Amino acid sequence: MRAVDVQGVSFTYDDGTEALAGIDFRVEEGEFVAVLGSNGSGKTTLIQLLVGLLKAKSGRIAIGGREIGSLTAEELYQRVGLVFQNPNDQLFAATVEEDCAFGPRNLNIPEAEVQRRVTESLAAVAALSLRGRAIHHLSFGEQKRVSLAGVLAMRPAVLILDEPTAGLDPAGEAQMMQLLKKLNREERMTVILATHTVDMLPLFANRIYVLDRGRVLQQGPSEEIFCHQEMIVRAKLRLPYVSRLMYEMKRHDGVPIDGLPLTIGEARAQLLELIPKEMILPGIEEIGS
Amino acid sequence: MFDLFSDIFTYRDNALTRIDPRVKLLIALAALIAVVTSARPVLPLAVFVLCLGTIAALRIPAKLVALRLAAPFSTVAILVVIQTFVTGTTPLFALTLGGWTLTAKAEGLRQGLLLGARVLGALSIVLLLGIATPAHRIFQALRGFRISKEWVEIAILMYRYIFVLMDRAGDLAAAQRLRLGYTAPRRALASFTALAGATVVHSFEQAGRTHNAMRLRGYRGTMPFGPLPALGRRDRGLLALLLTVIAAAYGFFAWGING
Repeated sequence: MRAVDVQGVSFTYDDGTEALAGIDFRVEEGEFVAVLGSNGSGKTTLIQLLVGLLKAKSGRIAIGGREIGSLTAEELYQRVGLVFQNPNDQLFAATVEEDCAFGPRNLNIPEAEVQRRVTESLAAVAALSLRGRAIHHLSFGEQKRVSLAGVLAMRPAVLILDEPTAGLDPAGEAQMMQLLKKLNREERMTVILATHTVDMLPLFANRIYVLDRGRVLQQGPSEEIFCHQEMIVRAKLRLPYVSRLMYEMKRHDGVPIDGLPLTIGEARAQLLELIPKEMILPGIEEIGS
Repeated sequence: MFDLFSDIFTYRDNALTRIDPRVKLLIALAALIAVVTSARPVLPLAVFVLCLGTIAALRIPAKLVALRLAAPFSTVAILVVIQTFVTGTTPLFALTLGGWTLTAKAEGLRQGLLLGARVLGALSIVLLLGIATPAHRIFQALRGFRISKEWVEIAILMYRYIFVLMDRAGDLAAAQRLRLGYTAPRRALASFTALAGATVVHSFEQAGRTHNAMRLRGYRGTMPFGPLPALGRRDRGLLALLLTVIAAAYGFFAWGING
């Protein structure tokens, strides 16, 4: 079944700003999809439409096969959950435990089940040890993980994240992306993330939608998306750094590189093929080891 | 600023933080009533010393305690001075200031000291309660006394967002300071006004975003709370014991039952 189906959706804000202009957006169950776009491209508007915070002026939005307008709030928010960009917008309870229990308690489920969900969702984001802590005593990275746990406790089929790595240090960024990958691969959760950071996407996303000024410029797997250099520039984005390096080497130095590597692993494999075997020292220490 | 509002000590594990907050609230309430209705300063001062001793035993930094008591101490000092010079008839001594003669009176001094002792005693109870119990647990305990859910909900949200808004206001104030916003009194006033305005606007925006986040997790106008656990035997025993002690102390020191 299709997890999310958006057809011909448009949205214009009251001040006349056209945020989305007849876009189509589809996500299959269990997919990991990234919505890539610069500031003002319409990512946040699309997300807010998907969770019912905004209503589309025209077009159709279905979540899990049902029109969004036909779902009650309880039904909708067990199908789709949104993790906000700024955890302070989302973490409103005094402690981690209270915040994670907020959603399940609103579903009127027995307290024992509420507690079980809290434990499981905190364990899923490696934050079980934070359970009794006050929210305002947490670091930014911890707050990000706890805000994800609060949404996971609702057991949504589709998890949407608005800039999940914004403000995190490199280690926190990697940890967050690994968590999302685990939820997607092991729990079969459908993940949609809106972002403008490109470096990690080839490692995680099955498909990428590129948005620009409320329109979908292109959609497809990362290798298809990033080979359209002009489109990437038009969307005010960039290639992943490793791809940019390989692209420049190919274009300016004539290095014979096949296609465009998108990850460090792919780039390394290609470079190893080009470097004469005798130049490679066996058993050399890894950088950073 | 941070020290003044810091609640980090309430999350420490010690004998006081382990007591059920409902018990602490009831004991604090009984002690407050005893202190503010006491006819003599002995009981309030004894409570003050006892509370400060307990705070010291909990190893709360003296700087934090001094910061929190600075404003009440000033109020008490002003109170004592005003009472001494305004109330009563029996002169103690006289002062001449700018052609005016002010006469201190014995009854006023006694009255001022009693009021001051009551203020200090009451504040030390609240201070100790605030150091031994996280605010959100106090709010939740209030549910056990049939305080309206809406009030508790608003109090919890206020407590949570005080810290967010303080951070925000701190950042804005630093940005103003770095651009010389507080170098002259007039400029400082303008900067502070702008800071206050920006904080109000920010809090409205924050409220909107938070409301959206709550709606997305099924909020329908009332915050759901978990059940309050039943009071344990130890807590019930402690409550009975301390209420008896407070009643006895009130009889002895506040009104002088034995004469």
